[in-house]
Amino acid sequence: MKKIKKQNVAGLLEKWQKEFTVFVPSKASGVLQMAAWDGENLSFLERNRNTAIPPKANFLPTMQKMFGFRKEEGGYVLEPTDEDPPKQLLFGIHPCDARAISIIDMVFKDAYEDKYYLSRRQNTVLVGMACTSPYDNCFCTSLGFGPADATDVDIMLTDIGDSFLLEQVTDKGKGVLAGAKDLVEATQADEKKAKEVKESAKAAVSTKIDTKEISKRLPLVFDDKKFWEEIAAKCVSCGICTFLCPTCYCFDISDEMLRDGSGGARYRNWDCCSFAVYTKMPAENPREEKWRRVRQKVYHKYAFYPELFGVIGCTGCGRCIRQCPVNWDITQTLNSLPEGTAAKAEEKQKTS
Amino acid sequence: MTEDLEQKLRDEVRTLLEKGKIEHVIGYGEGSLKFATTPIMISDQADVDRLVINPFIHNNLSVLLPEVSGKVAVVAKVCDARSIISLVQNKQVARENVFIIGVPCNGIVDVAKVEKLTGLDRDEIDAVTWKDDRLVVTFAGGSKEFSAPEVALDSCLDCDCSGFKEFDLVIGEITPVAANKELSRVRIKEMEAMTPAQRWEFWKNEFSRCIRCYACRQICPVCFCERCFVEETEPLWVSPLPRWQDNLIFQAVRMMHVAGRCTDCGECQRACPVNIPLGLLTGKMEDIVDELFDYRAGMDKDAAPLMAAYEPEEAEDLMR
Amino acid sequence: MTISDISHRKRFLAQGNVYLPHIAVIEKIIDETPTVKTFHFNFKDEKLRKEFTFESGQFGEYSILGVGEATFCISSSPTRLDPLECAVARVGKVTNALHRLGVGAEIGFRGPFGNSFPLDYMEGKNLVFVAGGIGLAPLRSLIWNVLDNRAKYGNVDIVYGARTPRDLCFKYDLEAWEKDSSVNMTTTVDREVPDWTGNVGFVPAVTEKVAPSAKNAVAIVCGPPIMIRFTFPVLEKLGFTPPQMITTLEKRMKCGIGKCGRCNIGEIYVCRDGPVFSYEEIRNFSSDEV
Repeated sequence: MKKIKKQNVAGLLEKWQKEFTVFVPSKASGVLQMAAWDGENLSFLERNRNTAIPPKANFLPTMQKMFGFRKEEGGYVLEPTDEDPPKQLLFGIHPCDARAISIIDMVFKDAYEDKYYLSRRQNTVLVGMACTSPYDNCFCTSLGFGPADATDVDIMLTDIGDSFLLEQVTDKGKGVLAGAKDLVEATQADEKKAKEVKESAKAAVSTKIDTKEISKRLPLVFDDKKFWEEIAAKCVSCGICTFLCPTCYCFDISDEMLRDGSGGARYRNWDCCSFAVYTKMPAENPREEKWRRVRQKVYHKYAFYPELFGVIGCTGCGRCIRQCPVNWDITQTLNSLPEGTAAKAEEKQKTS
Repeated sequence: MTEDLEQKLRDEVRTLLEKGKIEHVIGYGEGSLKFATTPIMISDQADVDRLVINPFIHNNLSVLLPEVSGKVAVVAKVCDARSIISLVQNKQVARENVFIIGVPCNGIVDVAKVEKLTGLDRDEIDAVTWKDDRLVVTFAGGSKEFSAPEVALDSCLDCDCSGFKEFDLVIGEITPVAANKELSRVRIKEMEAMTPAQRWEFWKNEFSRCIRCYACRQICPVCFCERCFVEETEPLWVSPLPRWQDNLIFQAVRMMHVAGRCTDCGECQRACPVNIPLGLLTGKMEDIVDELFDYRAGMDKDAAPLMAAYEPEEAEDLMR
Repeated sequence: MTISDISHRKRFLAQGNVYLPHIAVIEKIIDETPTVKTFHFNFKDEKLRKEFTFESGQFGEYSILGVGEATFCISSSPTRLDPLECAVARVGKVTNALHRLGVGAEIGFRGPFGNSFPLDYMEGKNLVFVAGGIGLAPLRSLIWNVLDNRAKYGNVDIVYGARTPRDLCFKYDLEAWEKDSSVNMTTTVDREVPDWTGNVGFVPAVTEKVAPSAKNAVAIVCGPPIMIRFTFPVLEKLGFTPPQMITTLEKRMKCGIGKCGRCNIGEIYVCRDGPVFSYEEIRNFSSDEV
C-alpha cells in the first residue's frame, strides 16, 4: 500500500490537471460543491465534510444540451453534442456518493444506453476520500456499506494524520497514479492507523434504519392513506431533497428555439417527483395529492428501485434531512412504518 | 423560563381542543436535526405535549394553513401571524377559521450564521442558548458568545411587532432582542451604494448557483398560485433551465408577484439550499412598498390586497 | 415483477443515440375532428424508410424541433408501412404547434417504443375491440393488422363511440369496417343529435347491448379512463376474465425509454413495460396509480 504526505497532494493534483479537469470540494461558488480546482486552494484537505450538492452533477448536469438543430434550405440539420466529454477527475468523493454513482449507473445502462451519462462516466476517474466525520444524520452503515468503503472508487484516500493512505482500487486508478512522485510505501503502523480511522468513522454513524424490516413492511402499507397523509403533512413539495440526493436522477426534457426560428436546441434538466406538475397530464394528474408524491419518493428509493435493480436507491448521505426546510426526515418515516395486517401480507403472497 | 411557556402553550391548546373551539393545531415539534424544530399538526389532546417553544421555531407555519380544513389554531411569531393576515386579505383563508396563538419569540437563531461564525457544522456544536440578549454557543473545547444581531435571522433584525393586533392569544411576552432596524438595512445600503453594473454582477453571481428547486416559492406562504408563472408553457415566460439569466428572472418576477403580500419573514432565504441572499430582495421590496404606498402586508385584515386593488387617486395616469 | 425484456424489440437509433430524433416529412393531414388531426409521414432517410417497422400498440416520441416532444401511438398498421400515421389531439404547446404545421413540414420521430398488443395470444380467438374518441388510434393499428391477416382470427366485433358525430375519428375506417362482412361494426354517439341515424348511447352501455360472447374471446379496450372504468365491468358481466381484457395506459412521458422517471406505476414504467397491459396485470400492480 502506498501513502502520500498531505503537503505533496498539490503536486499530485497538478500532475492530474495535465490530463483531466480536476474537481475538488469547493465553497467558491457560495455553497460547498465539486468545482474545478483553481490550482491553489487546498482547504478541502483540512476539512473533510461532505458537499451540499452531490457529485452526480458531474455526470448528470443540472442542465445539459442534448443536441442543437439548424433549419436550412433542405430541412432540419441536427447537431449532436456532448458526444465525447472532456476527461474529469473527481477528488475527495465520499463513499456514499461513490456508491450512489454506481447505483444510478444501472438506470442509465438499462434497456437503452444513455450516451450522455455513460460517456461522462467513462471519462471520469473517481478519487475517493474516506469519511472521517459523518454527520449526525448520516446512515450509510444501514445500507450495506460504510464511510470508508472503497468499492466504488478508483483510488481511495484515508487521512492518517500527516499523510493519506492510498488504496489503488481499479486499474484505472493504478493508471493515473503511474509515474506519480512522492508516493512512498506505507508502513504497518500507517495501515493500522488507517484501519482505526475507518473503524472510528463507522462507529460514529449514529442514525440507523432496519432495511430488512422496511422491505417487509413497505409492500403492506402502500395503501395506508392515513399514514401517508400524516407523513406528508409538513412537506411543501419543493425540490431540495431530490436535487441534493446523489441517487435521484429524474429529468425533464425541453426545447428552445432562436427567436428567428433558424435553429435551437433540446436540453434536459433536473426534475423532481415532489413537484405537483411532475405527472400532470391535460386530463388528469395521478399524483395530484401531496401524500401520493411523498409516498412515491419513499417507495421509488426503497421498493421500486430495489425491485428493478436489486439495490436500494439511497446511500444514507443525509443531505435530504439536513437541508429540508421543514425537517422532513426519511429515516423517521422508514422507522415508523406500520406493520400492516396479516390479511394484507397473505394477499401480497398470493399475487407475487 | 421557556419550559413554563411551553407548558402554558400546551395547556391553552389542550383547553381549546377540549372545548371544541378548534379542531387542529399547527405548531412546532422537536426536530430530528440539532437546533431545529419541525411543523407538527395535532388534532388529538393526547399529542399536545409534542408542542415546543425554543429559539429554533423558524418555520412560518402559515404556509401549511390553506391545506387544513376546519378551525385551526396556528402557533405564530409576529412575522408568521402577519403572513396569516396577509392570506386573509387575499381570501386564501377565512379569519374566523384561524385562531392565532402568539409566541414569545425573542429572535430566531440563524443556525447558518452560527455555523459561519464558529466554523463548525451544527452537529459539531453542543448547545446554543440565549443568555438575555447574548447567544452562548458551546462545543467540544470551549464556548463562544455572540450578540443577538450577529446570530439572529436577518428578518428578526427587522422585527416590528408593535401595532399587530390580530393575536387571539399571546403566550408570554414578546420582546424582540435582536431588532435593530438600522443593522437590518446595512447590507441593503451596501447594495444601494453599488452601481447598476456592480449590482448586476452581484446577482449574476448569486443566481449562477440556483438549481431551481423552487424551495423559495414552496416555503413562501403568499406564493399560493395554483399555477405558477414558471409552469406556463403557452407562452413560455421563463425557461425551466437553470441558467443564471432564467434563475434571476424567475426570482425577480416572483418578488414582484409577492410584493404587497410578502411580510419579509425570511423563510425563502433560510430554505435556499445554495445560500442565495433572498432576504436582500424581500427586505428592499418591503421598504419600497412602505415608501410608495404607506402599506405593510398583514397588519390590517380588512385592508384590500395592495396590488389587487386600486384607488381613484392612483399616481399612475394609466390607472385613472 | 421484473423488468421487461426488450432485447427483441426493433431499434432504429439515429447515430446510435436514443435521444436523437429521426427527421420525417408530413405528407398528408386529415382533419378528423375539430380537435384531432391525423398526420401521414415518412422518414427522410431512404434506408430508414425501407427498414423501419414496428408492432401495433407501440408509440413514438414526436418532435416539433424547438417546441418540444410529445407521445403518440403509431396509428397505422405494421402491415401498411407507407405512410406511417399518428393521430394528435390539440391539448397543449406541442400539439398546438403540430396542428399548425402543413404538408411538407418536418417533424422528429424517436421510436418505436413500448410493448405491443399480444398477437400470439389473440390468434385463433374472437376479437372484441371497444374504443372511445381518440382511443381508436392505437386500436386502429391493431384492427387493420388483424384484418390484413383475417384468416388468423375468429369473429371481429368493433364497438366505437364518441361524444357527437363530429367527434368520431377515422370516419373512413368506420365506413370500411361497416362494409366489411367479416366485421360486426357498431358505431355510437353519447346523445341524440339531429341528422344522426346511428346508435345512441355511451360505449359501455352499447357494448352491453351488442353482448359479444366471451367464449374464446379477447377484448381490447381503449379510450378515456372513465369509459374504460365502465367498460370492464360490462365485459366481466359478459363473462370476460381479467386476462381476456386488454387496454393501453397513458401517463405523462418525456424520454419514452424508462429513464426520466415520471411514467411509473410502482416499479412498472408505462413507456417500457407498457403501454399495453391486461386487466389481470393491472389488478396486480403494486401501486394504485393507474
